[in-house]
Amino acid sequence: MDIKFVVNKKPYTLNVDPRERLIDVLRNRIGLMGTKEGCGEGECGACTVIIDGKTVNSCLLLAAQADGCDITTIEGVGNRRSPHPVQKAFVEVGAVQCGFCTPGMVLSAKNLLDKITHPSDQEIGIAMSGNLCRCTGYDKILRAVKRVAEEGDV
Amino acid sequence: MNTRVVGSRVVREDAWGKVFGQTKFPADVNLPDQLYGVVVRSPHPHARVRSVVIEQAMGLPGVVTVLTAKDVPSNSHGVLFRDQPVLAEYIRMVGDPIAVVGAETLELARAAANLVVVDYEVLPAVFDPEEAMTPDVLPLHPALRPTNVLYHMPIRRGSMVEGWARADVVVEQEYSTQHVDHAFLQPEAVLAHVDERGHMVVQTATQYAHYDRGEIAQALGLRFSQVQVKTMAVGGAFGGREDISLQIMAALMAWTTLRPVKMENTREESFYSHSKRHPMKMHYKTGATKDGKLVAMEARIVGDAGAYASWSINVLRKSAVHATGPYEIPNVSVDSYAVFTNNPFSGAMRGFGAAQTVLAYESQMDLLAKALGISPLEIRQRNMFKVGSTTATGQVLTGSVPLDQCLEKISPYLQSGVDSELVQLKLNIGESTPTEAEQGTPTVNSRKLSHRMKRRGIGLGCAWYGTGYGNGFPDVSSAFVEIHDDGSATVLTGAVDVGQGSNSIYAQIVAEELGLQSEDICVYTGDTDATPDSGTTAATRQTYNTGNAVLKAVRQAKVRLLDYAAHKFSCPTAEGIELEAGFIGVKGDPSRRMPLEDMVFQARLQGERFISAESSTALSTPVDLETGQGAPYWPYAFGCQMAEVEVDTETGLVRVLRVVAVHDVGKALNPTQVEGQIAGGVTQGIGYALLEELELHEGKIKNPAFSSYLIPTALDVPNIEAFFVEDPECTGPFGAKGLGEPAMLPTISAVINAINNAVGVRITSLPATPEKILAALADKKEELG
Repeated sequence: MDIKFVVNKKPYTLNVDPRERLIDVLRNRIGLMGTKEGCGEGECGACTVIIDGKTVNSCLLLAAQADGCDITTIEGVGNRRSPHPVQKAFVEVGAVQCGFCTPGMVLSAKNLLDKITHPSDQEIGIAMSGNLCRCTGYDKILRAVKRVAEEGDV
Repeated sequence: MNTRVVGSRVVREDAWGKVFGQTKFPADVNLPDQLYGVVVRSPHPHARVRSVVIEQAMGLPGVVTVLTAKDVPSNSHGVLFRDQPVLAEYIRMVGDPIAVVGAETLELARAAANLVVVDYEVLPAVFDPEEAMTPDVLPLHPALRPTNVLYHMPIRRGSMVEGWARADVVVEQEYSTQHVDHAFLQPEAVLAHVDERGHMVVQTATQYAHYDRGEIAQALGLRFSQVQVKTMAVGGAFGGREDISLQIMAALMAWTTLRPVKMENTREESFYSHSKRHPMKMHYKTGATKDGKLVAMEARIVGDAGAYASWSINVLRKSAVHATGPYEIPNVSVDSYAVFTNNPFSGAMRGFGAAQTVLAYESQMDLLAKALGISPLEIRQRNMFKVGSTTATGQVLTGSVPLDQCLEKISPYLQSGVDSELVQLKLNIGESTPTEAEQGTPTVNSRKLSHRMKRRGIGLGCAWYGTGYGNGFPDVSSAFVEIHDDGSATVLTGAVDVGQGSNSIYAQIVAEELGLQSEDICVYTGDTDATPDSGTTAATRQTYNTGNAVLKAVRQAKVRLLDYAAHKFSCPTAEGIELEAGFIGVKGDPSRRMPLEDMVFQARLQGERFISAESSTALSTPVDLETGQGAPYWPYAFGCQMAEVEVDTETGLVRVLRVVAVHDVGKALNPTQVEGQIAGGVTQGIGYALLEELELHEGKIKNPAFSSYLIPTALDVPNIEAFFVEDPECTGPFGAKGLGEPAMLPTISAVINAINNAVGVRITSLPATPEKILAALADKKEELG
C-alpha cells in the first residue's frame, strides 16, 4: 500500500507492506539508524520517535498507521554545529554512557519540554519513565532534563 | 599530585555522536547482498539430537543455507573450557543452538527456521544444584568432571573450635539469590563478511574483541591474522558479552557462503543467548564476642553454574574470597561450590560472585549488632579491614584500605531517622489533601477511609571487591602510543569501551602526560587488526590495568621526546624539560621553549619518532587449593551506602527514597564518570534487591521480555548522593582504582537492612518482592500473637 509521511521535515511517499512496522521503515528503507530496537514490545523506549507532537514507540506502530503524519526522529534534532539544549545538557551533565537508550531519551525529554517549559521533577520522571536505561541509573539523565527545564531556553 | 586533565570533568567525546543518533551499534551496519541468519534453538533442557532435517527449510525459495553441527570445523567455544558447542548435538539447556538458517530476508530466515525439523531423544534433566551434586545424578560434562561439581573452593583459616569457643553470640541463617539477566539495552547483533583480503571480518559488540577473534579462528580453523573482530558501539555489557553469542555462527555462514551475514537477536533470543548471574544458596554462621569482635565464621555457598562452565570457577572463587565481607575474622571456614545443572548457563555479571555474598555477610552483621545491642555502624567499625589487616585467605592488606574513611563520611547520614518513622497516608488519595468527607469519622466506607501504613527505615551496607582477573591469571593490558607531527597523539588499545567511558579516561591520561587537552588525543580501541590485546572489559580492570598500560606507553614515548628535547635545548638532563599547554621547553626558562609540534616535526626530519608499545600486568597469586590461602586479588576497592526505604505494610511494596553512596576510588580520574558508575550501580543494586528475577520452569525462561522481567525505570530510582574517598593506590594510574562493579554491591544489603529497620522483618531471599514482605509481616504478626 502507498503511504505518505514527513520525516524530519522531508516528505516521503512509500509503498509498504501493511504488516511493516514503522521502525523497520525508518531504519531499513529510509536509513535512519538512530532509532534503536531494544525489545520490540514497547517497553524500553529505545525506538521512540515523535509523531504529531506525541512520543511513540515506533516498534508498536505499523508504518501504514503513520500515513499522513509528521515524524521526528533523532536525526531531525540538532547537530554538532547547533545541538538542541537537551543534547547539550546530556553531554555536559554526563547523561550518556553506552548511548543505546540516548536517542529515545533525548526525544522524550525534548517533547516534554516542547509542551511544558518548566516541568516539575515529577513531570520529568513520568515523561522519562517510558525509556529504559541500564547504565546510568537515570540520575544524570534526570539532572540533565532538569537543567534544561530550569534554564528554559528550549 | 597536581593534575590538570586527570581528575577534571572532561566531556566524553563519544557522547556527541550518541545524542545525535550517529553512533553505530552492530545492528546499524549492513552490507550489500547480505544474508540474514536465524538460529534454531532447543526447547528441551536436556536431550540428544537424533537428527536434523533441513530439506523442507532449504526448499523455501530464498533460503541459501542451513548449518548444523556437522558444518562446524571445530565445534566448541568457552572462556575457561571449550565446553559449549557452536551448534549442539547434545543439548544441556533450553535455547542451545542447533542450526542456523541463512536466507535472503529476515522474514524468510525466520519462516525457514520454523521448518527445520529436529528429532530429540529427551533426557532427564536436573535443575536443583543440591540435587545435581549428589553422586547418583549423571554428570552433564563427563569429559570435564566426573560429577556435576565443577568447582569447590575451601578456605581454612585459624581454628573453628577455638573460634566458636570464644563466641558469645552466634547467628546462623540461610540466604538465597536468584537468576538475574544483564538486560543490557542493545540485543546481540553481528555483521560478518569475507573481505577483499580473504580475511574473516566480524563487526559486533563484545567486551573483548581479541577473545572473540580467538574463538572464531579456532572454530573455523583460521589463523588469528586472518580474522578481524571490530567492535562497534557496545550497548551495555555488565558481563553478558563475555561469552560468545552469535559471532561464530555468523562468521561460519559468511565463510561457507562467501556472502555477508547479518544476525540480530530479538529480546527473547537475547535472554537465551547470554549468561546469567549465578543464583546462590548461602548458609552462614557467624560468631562474635560480647564486645562486638568477630571471632568465627562458617559459610557454605552453592552456586548454580547452569549448563556450561563459562566463568563459574572464577565467580565461585570470588564468592569464597569475599565471603567474610570487609571484616577481619581470625577463624574462618568457607566451602564454595559451582554445580552444573540444566538451567541457563551462569557467567560473569557485574559483582561477579561478590554481589551474592554481600546479602549474606551484611545481613549477618546487622543480626549480630542487634543481638549485641550495638549499632550497625559500630559493629562494622570494630571489625573493618584497615591497613595491615589479614583477610580470610591470609592476604595482608597494604596500601589503600580506606573503609574507615568511607564509614566516617557516611556516619552523619545514619543519625537521622534511625528509628522507623511511621508515615500514615490516606488510601485512595495518595499525597493530596484529604477531602472534607474523608477528614470525618470513618464510618460510612471503612475500606475507603482505612489508613495505609507506610513505614520508613534506613539501612547500611558495606562491601569490598578485589579487582582484576585474580588468582595469578595473567592479567595483561597493552597500549601503543604515537605522538604526531603536529603535537597531537593517538593511543591504540584493545580495551573495549562498553559504555562506561574508558576511552575518555585514556585520553585524559595521555593528555595529562603530554601537556595537552583530551581533545588532542585520538583513542582507538577494540579492533583486532589495529590494537593490541588488552584483556577483557570486566573485573573492574580497564581504568586500573589498561590505564596503567596507557600511562606506561605514553611515558615511554615521552621519555624519548624529553631526551631529544634536552639535547636540542642543550639541557644537561631530560628532567629539566617540561611539557605544558602544547609547548616543550626548559623548566623556568621561557627563552628556551617551542611549540610541541615544531619539536616533533624537527625530530622527524632527523629520523626520530616518538612511538611506544607497553604492557602492564596486575599482581595476584593463585590460592592454595586445600586452604584457599594466598593473595588472590589486588587492589581491593571498598565502599558503603545508606539506603532509606518506605515500606507499605498493606501492599508490601518497597520504595527506595534515598541512597547515599561513599566509594573508595583511589583517585577519581573523571568525577562525572565516577558519579555515573555509582548511580548506575546503585540502580542495578536496587533492581537486584527488589525487582529482578528470571522465572524458570524446567529450564525454560517464563519471562524473557521487558514486560515481565522488570528492571528499574526512572520512577524507581531514589535521590542518589555520591561521594568518593581518594586514598591513592600506589600501583594505580595517578592512584586510581576501578569502581564499576563495587558501585552496586553495598546497595543490595543497604536496601535489605533498611526494610528490616522499617518493618522489623528480615528478607533472606532476593528479590524482596511485596509477596515475600507481606508473608514475613504476617509471620511476624503471628509470632507476636
